[in-house]
Amino acid sequence: MVFSSLTFIYLFLPLALFFHYLTPNKLFRNISLTAFSLAFYAWEEPMWIYLMIFTAIFDYYMALLIERWRGDKKAKIILLITVLVNLSLLIFYKYGGFLYDNLSAIGQLPFDRPKNSLPVGISFYTFMVISYIVDVYRGQLKAQRNPLNFLMFISLFQHLVAGPIVRYSQIGSQVDSRSIDWARFSTGISRFCIGLFKKIVIANVAGALVTKYLDAGFNDLSTIEAWFGITMFSVQLYFDFSGYSDMAIGLAKMFGFDFDENFRHPYAAQSVGDFYRRWHISLGKFFRDYVYIPMGGNRKLQLRNIMIVWLLTGIWHGASWNFALWGFYFGSFMIIEKLLENFLKKVPRFLRHTYTLILIIFSRAIFYFVDFGQLKSFVGNLFYSTNSISIGFKSDLFEHIFWFILVVLMCIPWDEIYPSDTKVNMEASRYYHMLKPAFNIAMLFLATMLLVNSSYNPFLYTRF
Amino acid sequence: MINKINSILFLSALVGMYSFYLFTPTQKVSLGEKRKLAELSTLTFDTYLNGSWSHSVDDFIDDHFPFRNNFISMAEVFHASKGIHFKNQEKLFIGKKRPSDKKNEEDTTHAKMNFKDDFEEAYSGSLLILDGSVYPVGGGSPKMSRFFAAMLNEYADKLRGRTRVLSAVAPLSSAFIPAIKYRKFNTQNKETLLAIKSSLANGAIFCDVFNELDKHANEKMYFSTDHHWNAIGAYYAYVAFCRGAGFTPVDRNKMEKRIKYNFLGSLYQLTRDPSVKANPDTMVYYVPYVTTTAVRYNANNFDRPTKANVFSHACSGGNTYLTFLGGDAPLIKITTSVKNGKKAVVIKNSMGNAFAVYLISHYEEIYVLDFRYSNHNLLQLIEKNNINDLIFALGMYGAQSQGTIGMMRRLATNNGVPKYKPPVVSSDTNKVTRPVNDTLKID
Repeated sequence: MVFSSLTFIYLFLPLALFFHYLTPNKLFRNISLTAFSLAFYAWEEPMWIYLMIFTAIFDYYMALLIERWRGDKKAKIILLITVLVNLSLLIFYKYGGFLYDNLSAIGQLPFDRPKNSLPVGISFYTFMVISYIVDVYRGQLKAQRNPLNFLMFISLFQHLVAGPIVRYSQIGSQVDSRSIDWARFSTGISRFCIGLFKKIVIANVAGALVTKYLDAGFNDLSTIEAWFGITMFSVQLYFDFSGYSDMAIGLAKMFGFDFDENFRHPYAAQSVGDFYRRWHISLGKFFRDYVYIPMGGNRKLQLRNIMIVWLLTGIWHGASWNFALWGFYFGSFMIIEKLLENFLKKVPRFLRHTYTLILIIFSRAIFYFVDFGQLKSFVGNLFYSTNSISIGFKSDLFEHIFWFILVVLMCIPWDEIYPSDTKVNMEASRYYHMLKPAFNIAMLFLATMLLVNSSYNPFLYTRF
Repeated sequence: MINKINSILFLSALVGMYSFYLFTPTQKVSLGEKRKLAELSTLTFDTYLNGSWSHSVDDFIDDHFPFRNNFISMAEVFHASKGIHFKNQEKLFIGKKRPSDKKNEEDTTHAKMNFKDDFEEAYSGSLLILDGSVYPVGGGSPKMSRFFAAMLNEYADKLRGRTRVLSAVAPLSSAFIPAIKYRKFNTQNKETLLAIKSSLANGAIFCDVFNELDKHANEKMYFSTDHHWNAIGAYYAYVAFCRGAGFTPVDRNKMEKRIKYNFLGSLYQLTRDPSVKANPDTMVYYVPYVTTTAVRYNANNFDRPTKANVFSHACSGGNTYLTFLGGDAPLIKITTSVKNGKKAVVIKNSMGNAFAVYLISHYEEIYVLDFRYSNHNLLQLIEKNNINDLIFALGMYGAQSQGTIGMMRRLATNNGVPKYKPPVVSSDTNKVTRPVNDTLKID
């Protein structure tokens, strides 16, 4: 199930809220939330729920053992086994087919290609449990004693499918006990509605243009259309992912949890490094704390560490070489930026922003085209194409002109231009606060309208 | 206070919609979309485990959402408000991909077919919108025309000396786009249809529909908002047919002229484009002064015929094209007041409906058989009724697909065994009257 579906908004969410707030009893609330989270997870692929429950039980006990033997060698061994088991499951289910294809290209393998489909959310919850286990080992966390609470932390439907990667250190205390009031609930609603709006009104509209320009005959694109298509994909990716994160953060608030921000106006970045401090922040922090710093960070072999982290970041996004290339691309630019740090500081802000945007938009091509042949052909069109502009390109531009303006406005970091202590910000916040019930209902209405419209599926001939 | 209002409003919206959901009656079909709405599948351990039950719930909620049609209409307003629309702008519409878009899917039997006019469905996926009119992009392929001609030749061979076989295939409307830059589609349509002529043998007669329509390219012969030709395009096809068959066409000025307004047809439903909506079709049609009676048979036999109409004058709105023959039916028998002893079978898809109605001036009996829905045996029908002319009158869509050509070929060996349930739409009330059990997957 996804948040941006009528089933979720009008069936699952009201029922989940009703049962959660039926009584103030903490145990009942946790049981209800866990049950709804498991039902949410099992909606699409019930089979994989066993894997998630296994992970939760396994890590629950391992954390207790690590805590018991903390300071002892045994704790380290248990830590290694636990991380290894979790990563093995991730590698088997996510990268099994990819590894098989590559290894079988070298020599014949004695077994068949794994036929697993990817369990929903495995990339997210595996990193969550690894961070939990490592934090317990480091003594930064007390292991959760209540297995129900631990299962709830792993399976919380708010973060399960598309993150953010929530750490136990962030919400551990809220797992045991949560305080809920109207202000928090209302903030959650507003955030959910904004996320829904971003997903349905921006990302999905951009997605339709992406399909039109990148899916259908990208070989025939003119250079301007190729850039248009890949820019639309950049818009789709950001608003889709950040919209989903907003919805997750909002839903978490509605149930009494505080998730950290996952996006901070990434397209306003001044460098590639800055971009990744603003984009999928929870993933960046995970790699920083559990890979980059343990390898030596900026103290020892920094450039190597950067490249390793970026290759891992790339491959985390998908089991395909294009994602590794994408990681290498960003790793390389991060290293170049480190080497040219002093020079880049002198470059005017506008140029730094333009350079960053071009690099990011270009990188989306590596992200989009899994097939290297297609990627090569598309990149060729990005720089030189003899194709003329196709029918309808002009009308596509004009027919989306107000929508483009909205997209640009929504990419601008208004809160950085006008910080919270400025008059503009305070005035705007005051008006927003007063009008937010109307805004939220309008956004919900608009999203519902477009979701219903997406089910419109006419045929030329009657098919009763 | 504002936080309370915000929370209560939001929750009321969710719960309010939920209540509507529970208490509003559910529809079975969507007439606008011409499809059956999703049904809930039975909850079993297996359907739960493989996810099909959950998907059916999602589809059901999507299809039966309260005020669904209103939301869809409002979404149109939203899409129109995203930017500026110029009246004369060209646009390309790429339709949704459907399961039936699998081009290489092997054409096997009727039983496996949900719908086999796949060429037509595929064409609906890539449409040019110009000045509020919608056109398919392309013009068919001469290669496929040879397959179609080969099928006609087989019938001509089987019926040699007894029944004439005539081909009257309509070009796509793309042949007549009023812009020089699209002239290539005119040539493409022409080559596709002439390839039928050059491949015909065994005395099969080619009626040059393209040439006749091309002479009148400055007239409006196709609907702007629908994928069919209008009564004028069909009339010129009839003129071409008469030339091929050796008849004198009846002047349309000597027929009763009728007009219907505000027709927004299938291509509008598909594109939902505001410029198309602003350009609804007016349908002028001509009714020959011939008295007729008509009956409709089911797909498999001649039991329990029901009354049919050559013209269903009551059809209006989105169903305006159903005026001709009341829409598609497996087999319609028309008996006319023309007592000349001549009989014809018309093998057609929906394009043939507007054409077939002109034939009542030339035949005493006409059997109009829709090859997509009928399981009748064509050779037995011809033999039993002493048919003089076998006329293949269809849109190019039907002559360009292995699937549809196969269906026409199989009419020779059909044995009346039910294989596919055709739609039955009452043209007067626009209500669907037949229960169905096909398993259409909605994407």
